[in-house]
Amino acid sequence: MMRRVAPCLACIGLLLVWQLASLALNNDSFPTALEAIRAIPAVLGDKDSLVNFGASLRRMTIGFSVALAVSIPLGLLMGRSRAVASFFNPLLMVIYPVPKAALMPIIMLWLGVGDLSKTLVIFLGVSLPVIYHSFEGAKAVEEKMLWSGAAMGLSAIQRLVRIVLPAALPEILTGCRTGLVLALITMITSEMIARQSGAGNILFNALDMGQYDTVFAMIIIVGAMGIGLDALFERLRARLVRWAEPQFDIPLSFS
Amino acid sequence: MNARTIISDLLLGLIPIVLLVAVWQALVSFGYAPVTLLPPPGHVFQRMVALLLNTTYQRDIAATLFRLFAGFAIAVILGVSVGLAAAVNPTINAAVRPIVRVLAPLPKVALYPALLLLVGFGHESKILLVTFDALFPILLSTYYGASTVEQKLIWSAMAAGTPPREVLFKVVLPAAAPSILTGCRIGLVISCIVVFLAEMITSTDGLGHVLVTAARTFQAVDMFVPLITISLLGLILNGLLELLRSYLLRGFPEV
Amino acid sequence: MQPAAVHKPATAMIQIDHVSQMFQTSARQDHLALSDISLSVANGAFVSILGPSGCGKSTLLYIVGGFVQPTKGIARMKGEAIRGPGPDRGPVFQEFALFPWKTVLGNVMYGPRQQGVKHAEAEAQSRALLEMVGLKGFENFYPKELSGGMKQRVALARTLAYHPEVLLMDEPFGALDAHTRTRLQNDLLNIWERDRKTVLFVTHSVEEAVFLSDKVVMMTPSPGRIRQIVDIDLPRPRRRAELLLDPRYQKYVVEIERMFDDSGELQP
Repeated sequence: MMRRVAPCLACIGLLLVWQLASLALNNDSFPTALEAIRAIPAVLGDKDSLVNFGASLRRMTIGFSVALAVSIPLGLLMGRSRAVASFFNPLLMVIYPVPKAALMPIIMLWLGVGDLSKTLVIFLGVSLPVIYHSFEGAKAVEEKMLWSGAAMGLSAIQRLVRIVLPAALPEILTGCRTGLVLALITMITSEMIARQSGAGNILFNALDMGQYDTVFAMIIIVGAMGIGLDALFERLRARLVRWAEPQFDIPLSFS
Repeated sequence: MNARTIISDLLLGLIPIVLLVAVWQALVSFGYAPVTLLPPPGHVFQRMVALLLNTTYQRDIAATLFRLFAGFAIAVILGVSVGLAAAVNPTINAAVRPIVRVLAPLPKVALYPALLLLVGFGHESKILLVTFDALFPILLSTYYGASTVEQKLIWSAMAAGTPPREVLFKVVLPAAAPSILTGCRIGLVISCIVVFLAEMITSTDGLGHVLVTAARTFQAVDMFVPLITISLLGLILNGLLELLRSYLLRGFPEV
Repeated sequence: MQPAAVHKPATAMIQIDHVSQMFQTSARQDHLALSDISLSVANGAFVSILGPSGCGKSTLLYIVGGFVQPTKGIARMKGEAIRGPGPDRGPVFQEFALFPWKTVLGNVMYGPRQQGVKHAEAEAQSRALLEMVGLKGFENFYPKELSGGMKQRVALARTLAYHPEVLLMDEPFGALDAHTRTRLQNDLLNIWERDRKTVLFVTHSVEEAVFLSDKVVMMTPSPGRIRQIVDIDLPRPRRRAELLLDPRYQKYVVEIERMFDDSGELQP
């Protein structure tokens, strides 16, 4: 029980610290937690904001789904075939250190300022961790399981789908979780850089217009989105891979 | 890891870069991309050399590096201390765990506007953002490494006469070093990415700022240069960290 | 064979009085690992604790080592209650537990340096010890570069380096192949003969227990209790080749195995 309650207590604790700090600093540009919370309904209720949010979520969903659809098979193939791995590895190693959201201006130059460029960036941001984890997961599948499959008459494709995929699923889902967090971050960042629509846009508009309550309200909302999505995904992941050993998500969180 | 493996690894790592440049040149030469959108590699490298000799650009690089190092350093100090403390002390653990659980999935970049309001538009806001983003992988890796130290190592040290308060520094810290350094590597990559993005969003100097300025004036060549610069910086820093890592972990079996 | 009487002389090196150990398992159940253990170990005795897996023999060793506090009862060394680990009781673990970030020499020097011995002297002592365990020339190697047998020699040297009065050995040769095991058993006896420290040796091998010890403490599984204590009356120094052919040795082994069989418990 303590486990469930503790994060909620932590949230409340952090909000409390915020409240006290803002009261102590007494700075116009640093509203208190309560003021920010009070501004939330206004933000959510505003039709313009909802359109922006909708756009954000739409881009994120498309980018994320397409990324999964491409990356998981690719990663699995790379994990089981040396040729495929050797072909794609160098390319991925080069793309990895590049900040994907930083590609925004260049992509915008090519594809314009619309949805496509932002969705593409999200796609790129999500793909890499998912490919990597799918690759690692597929690589770790025991040969002997595949031999048994071959002995049972499964073709190479069937073995990939019916043995490698389920066996690598825990690792793949870890990659998806990282990808989800990155999708959210890339989405917000790309919207902050290419301000045109979306949650990042709302944030900076409010900043420019001095609506500090809104700024902080948006931070809470985005923060809640992040935490909520992550928690939902964890539930889904736990259910899908009940049979697996507990995994430790290194960069993300205590699992 | 001896000199030979390092050199061969370096050469191997150069191949994808060479490949990418070759593909790039091909795209331009065969007319698949207009010069205004995708300038030939030759132009870009020429411009890059010119800019590297330019003092303004050098100052931008210095600004970016300064923020990167400062943010990363704070993240390492904070992350390792808190991670170690949480691993050995149950009270600290109980306090830290839920806070990290809540804050980790939060897109830290959403806090950027708040930081701008609180500490201004200069170095501090970017340094703080880098710290927030790099902190969690380092903290979690440290915690993981420290809490999975083999019990018998600690017992052996205590039987040899190590007082309990020294066990943390004499056994837990060195035993957790592989994990800590892995976390630092992730933290470093994140630092490179975040500092660049923060400078793109709002800044008056730095590599990210250079890119955004070039984007506004549709100077394609000038957009590629800072991007490549930060990637190169990231690769070099990563390489240096790897060297440090090989030296510090020379006794540990390869994972 | 008569079970040895549990005597309580004031000079006992290790005295275990009615020790019980209860663990809480993850299923929130209580697991009684050890039940009412009383044992006296004389100074200079080589005592084996023999039993199948799960009989708590390692737990008993850890209690004497001070790594685990008993839920009931007291363990004493030379009359003083054991409250924590210390250099008077040196462990040697099955997993070797060498510090991977230190060289072989660094590992062995750890104890003396911890005691405040100056660097040069600690190094000289350690080199001598390494030579004694047969690892001269390997001082600058890292543990990862050594075989299992060599790692265990380093572990032994590391423990001997801080001159414990009691050696606590937890199935030290269990992770080694048979050939290495017999060699290390011989080497251990040779080293032990020099200063005859008190040794508590946990094992699940009947032959190993009989070969090495003066007394064999037979334990029952879950909860661990002392079944019987057998005096091993064989001459020292013991040579494997001679002993294997000695009918007294064979008799001990056969009878102990039969005692385990008769009880219907698992063979160790």
